[in-house]
Amino acid sequence: MTTVALRGISRRFGSVSALDHLDLEVGDAEFVSLLGPSGCGKTTALRIVAGFEWPDSGEVLVDGQDVLGKPANKRNMGMVFQAYSLFPNLTAQQNVEFGLRVRKQNRETRAKRAQELLDLVGLATAMERYPRQLSGGQQQRVALARSLAIEPSVLLLDEPLSALDAKVRVQLREEVRRIQSELGITTLYVTHDQEEALSISDRVAVMSAGRVEQFGTPAEIYSGPRTAFVANFVGTMNKLEGKVVSREDRVVRCGPILLSVPDPTFNHQAGETVELFLRPEDISLELLSKGETPPSGLFEGRVTSLTFLGPVTRVGLATDLGLLLADVSSAVALNLAADTVVAVKLDSTSLRSITA
Amino acid sequence: MAQVTVPVARPGSHRLRRARSRVPIWHMLWVVLGALFFLVPIYSVVEFSLQGILPGQNVFHWYLTVFDDPNFRSAFWLSVQISLETVAASLVLMVPTVFWVHLRLPGLRPVMDLVSVLPFVVPPIVLIVGLAPFIKSLSIWLFVRPEVLSLIYVVFALPFMYRALDAGLRAIDLQTLTEAAESLGASLPRTLVRVIIPNLRAAIIGGSLLAVAISMGEFTVASLMGFNTFSVYTFDIGMSTAYEGVALTFVSFLLVWGIMLALYLLGRGGAGAAAVAITDEKK
Repeated sequence: MTTVALRGISRRFGSVSALDHLDLEVGDAEFVSLLGPSGCGKTTALRIVAGFEWPDSGEVLVDGQDVLGKPANKRNMGMVFQAYSLFPNLTAQQNVEFGLRVRKQNRETRAKRAQELLDLVGLATAMERYPRQLSGGQQQRVALARSLAIEPSVLLLDEPLSALDAKVRVQLREEVRRIQSELGITTLYVTHDQEEALSISDRVAVMSAGRVEQFGTPAEIYSGPRTAFVANFVGTMNKLEGKVVSREDRVVRCGPILLSVPDPTFNHQAGETVELFLRPEDISLELLSKGETPPSGLFEGRVTSLTFLGPVTRVGLATDLGLLLADVSSAVALNLAADTVVAVKLDSTSLRSITA
Repeated sequence: MAQVTVPVARPGSHRLRRARSRVPIWHMLWVVLGALFFLVPIYSVVEFSLQGILPGQNVFHWYLTVFDDPNFRSAFWLSVQISLETVAASLVLMVPTVFWVHLRLPGLRPVMDLVSVLPFVVPPIVLIVGLAPFIKSLSIWLFVRPEVLSLIYVVFALPFMYRALDAGLRAIDLQTLTEAAESLGASLPRTLVRVIIPNLRAAIIGGSLLAVAISMGEFTVASLMGFNTFSVYTFDIGMSTAYEGVALTFVSFLLVWGIMLALYLLGRGGAGAAAVAITDEKK
């Protein structure tokens, strides 16, 4: 059983604050992703846990013990790097055995363990190959096997899939998750790819400017962003700016339209300016015949763009609320063209309010 | 039924390819000129070394004379010993230093660049005039031993060894490899020996070849300090017997090339492979 806690971690590089009182708790066997844009401090946080960076203040606890006094080679944490990090002079098997050799394991134990782990990552037949003879995806699999060989207390992955092409990336992330679940190893995963983070994590910490903006399950992060940053960063959001008309009834005026916001976290005073967020999939469209006015509760929109995304088509709409994006089935979108006038319906149950 | 069209090579198409791939005459001219620049002096040396032979003597008379001279063997082995000591001392001194500067003190790299070219700026004669009294004051024992030449040649070899190692370390992702080894439990010395040095083989061999070439050919310091190294012996012989001196020059070419070839062969395999893997694009 291994838990990791980062408490009040701060780190500055000159005048730049990379981490600003970062707090994070990772439970036993939990898969937590640090998600954020470049420069948000996610890699710095991971490197501090690994022992490659030191914080200016704060503590890193593994099973309640502060590990900041230990050098990286004494922390027993497996790490997979963004760059290909296999030792070029060693075969896949020798790479996997490296950590065991350091731990003075005998030859048979090393070979057996390497065989098991390369088998686990699907590369049992590539044991004798040198890194230059492996594809990028295979190299990262071997790197994963190598990091697991030492039976680490924590597995750290620093954007391990970012150098791979899209198809391999999807395949490999599922394997990472499968292996992590099988071994039940506490894992901290750094990525800037929201789809990756949401698809494989137990919990996601969305980071911005050295702080955790929101920490929750992928569903919580996606459906209930608590800050404008999270709302904008994770997925695509329509942003509507409005003024609170009634606090009790949770009514907001956006331009000429009154919107009822059933968001239970709505807690704004009348007259306060708020930002309402709504996902494109929470907007539906109805075709209007020429001269027809939208039914009650719906409002008019004019199609400005159509972007084919496979099963859905993203429709750009000019409305009284401003420009909106709506995702409709690609089959439905066949009836749409630029300047088509449609009735727009917002799923108000999905409206989220954040103080502007 | 679908038709499959197989492109058929037209008669004479390989001739066309050959014509296209033919190297322009001007290019060949430069290659020939370059080759002549190196080969003519070597040919002249060989040709001259086979002259001045009395009737009945072996055509390789001057070569046999050289090899029969015990002074030749002692001078040659002294130079080989000094060369190997120079290479060993340079590597022991430079590999950990350059590794550490690249890894932890990258801000010092411009200083290292500057220091490494100093031996180019200071002529050997100036260096020895300054160094000799200093070494003498340190230890008379060391001053009269050939090892002192190795220490001085380490300074001469410094620019070449540093440049080779610097280029080698720039070619690998030192930070990531070191951190990967550390995360697996390896200490820094172990990382250096087990991970970094094997991937620097090409750079180490390159630097070593140049250090050998410098040590084998250096004359000024060895002569002034009174050591009968290979280059001093060659000079002395050349002063007394021109034919023998020239034969010795050609022998020295062959021997130094032989040593360099041996070092090169020693470094083949892993080193090149490592560099390829590290610079490998994503697949």
